[in-house]
Amino acid sequence: MSRANLIAVGSSPLGETDLPGRDLFSKALAEAFEELPDPADVVDGLYVGAQSERYENQIMQGTLMAEWAGLRNVPAERVEACAAAGALALKNAVRDVRAGVHDAVLACGVEKMTAGGTEGATNALGAAFERALEQRSGITAPATYALLAQRYLHETDATERDLGRIAVKNHRNAAANPRAMFQQAVDIETVMDAPAVAPPLKLYDCAPVTDGAAAVVVANDEVAADLRSRPDAIHVAGVGSAANNLAVAERDLTFVEGANVAASTAYEDAGVDAADVDVAEVHDAFTVCEALLAEAAGFAPEGRGIETVEDPGDRSAGWTDVRINTSGGLKARGHPIGATGLLQAVEAYEQLTGRAGDRQVTDADTALLINEGGVADAHTVAHVLTATDRGE
Amino acid sequence: MTDTDSTTTGPLAPDDITADSPFTLPGFFDALAEGRLVAARCTECDTHMLPPRPACYGCGSRAVTLSEQPRTGEVVSYTSVNRPPSAFEDLAPITVAVVELDSSARLTGRVAASLEDVAIGDRVELRVRDPGTVGIDPDFDLSYEEEWPVHVFEPI
Repeated sequence: MSRANLIAVGSSPLGETDLPGRDLFSKALAEAFEELPDPADVVDGLYVGAQSERYENQIMQGTLMAEWAGLRNVPAERVEACAAAGALALKNAVRDVRAGVHDAVLACGVEKMTAGGTEGATNALGAAFERALEQRSGITAPATYALLAQRYLHETDATERDLGRIAVKNHRNAAANPRAMFQQAVDIETVMDAPAVAPPLKLYDCAPVTDGAAAVVVANDEVAADLRSRPDAIHVAGVGSAANNLAVAERDLTFVEGANVAASTAYEDAGVDAADVDVAEVHDAFTVCEALLAEAAGFAPEGRGIETVEDPGDRSAGWTDVRINTSGGLKARGHPIGATGLLQAVEAYEQLTGRAGDRQVTDADTALLINEGGVADAHTVAHVLTATDRGE
Repeated sequence: MTDTDSTTTGPLAPDDITADSPFTLPGFFDALAEGRLVAARCTECDTHMLPPRPACYGCGSRAVTLSEQPRTGEVVSYTSVNRPPSAFEDLAPITVAVVELDSSARLTGRVAASLEDVAIGDRVELRVRDPGTVGIDPDFDLSYEEEWPVHVFEPI
């Protein structure tokens, strides 16, 4: 089996932009290939994560992105699992490189969420939920996660303020991330005073509607060595994915089982433990998710995921020293649905190659990514990434 | 809660899967319109599933049968959809809950009460409404959904 490496990354501006999806992709591609030959001379396949054709009335995203990258007559496929689409693109690229199907593959993701306004985004995202009983009851993404949050607050000692502090922490992290949509801190009072979207979730508990794209190049050792010096590449050491229930009603509301399975599979694949992870990008589409995922990933004891906001030395016994969502997470870096899983990979790349500037975690050599689609762990994709110099 | 007169214990044969059977959505909603809430019940591990489906997510078995459900249960979690999808605008804010029926089957539904009047553990009863009376924009319905009843929970 070949080893898969991440050798270059790029992202578009994130937020409400004047660029349509294909142009956002052009931005991400241009950055990823700044120091590389033409994509056609590097990659021989492409996967693109895209949540919905409702935003721009465009499917065939594989063909479109390949064309924009100058790739012709190569496999180029769109993958979809709502917000897990980006990590699915990465997973498929890694699988192809590991299997020797391709020497290098472009994994990208794009979403032009603001095209139809907030109403358009609400309606497009609504398609991720079970249709017969749940969509027909009028639910939305914030409402499904509010059902998780309400139960979490009921079963644990956590409070709404504890959830709010996760948003405060992620805004503080984003303030040090030049890629982030919201590069400014917010205080807890602002968070607590914001309007309720779906109680107990308020505005700042919810990731924003974001336009954006990301692109990463996955290559085997030979291509990686040919194009990049060692410190400029990282290994994709572990992959795991799991589909759980579609309906919110039928899941365990306070334990994201599918995420636990996906993360455990990725750890085993990489030969690491949760305690080895220095930095993690987890899917904080809503603040409660970060707490739930910290527990499911083995970082935090049951019911103590809210301590993600604390410095490692101040956390309860049983917590690891991991730093979570140094990018600002979905909440503050931004959440362009199909691109999010790859934006998580961009942050891991920067952390593990020492490029993370003011938010650099000292000696970070192992990263976990958890990207989810549907409500909670309806679909989860996890990756473990390691610095090339780790243990060698 | 008793199993219906269905003799199916799965795996379903192709001929079992017809629009008359509650194992399909048209059959499930036809039964609901007549006042019967029908779940699939796994005969291996007793997981109840709404709507019915051909395999059990709990244990993977296809040994599923149909089981009429009690209408009463309790609130497991709840919230208010303050900004609903556009087709539900007239209903906002919408109180919704995950309800566990007395059989252990779980489903999500609207609650005919304001958020302040709902709490975890509250007893509720499922009611069935004619789709035209609920206030959902009819354009929301797909062609095959137009006659399907809409469920709602009432506090008891």
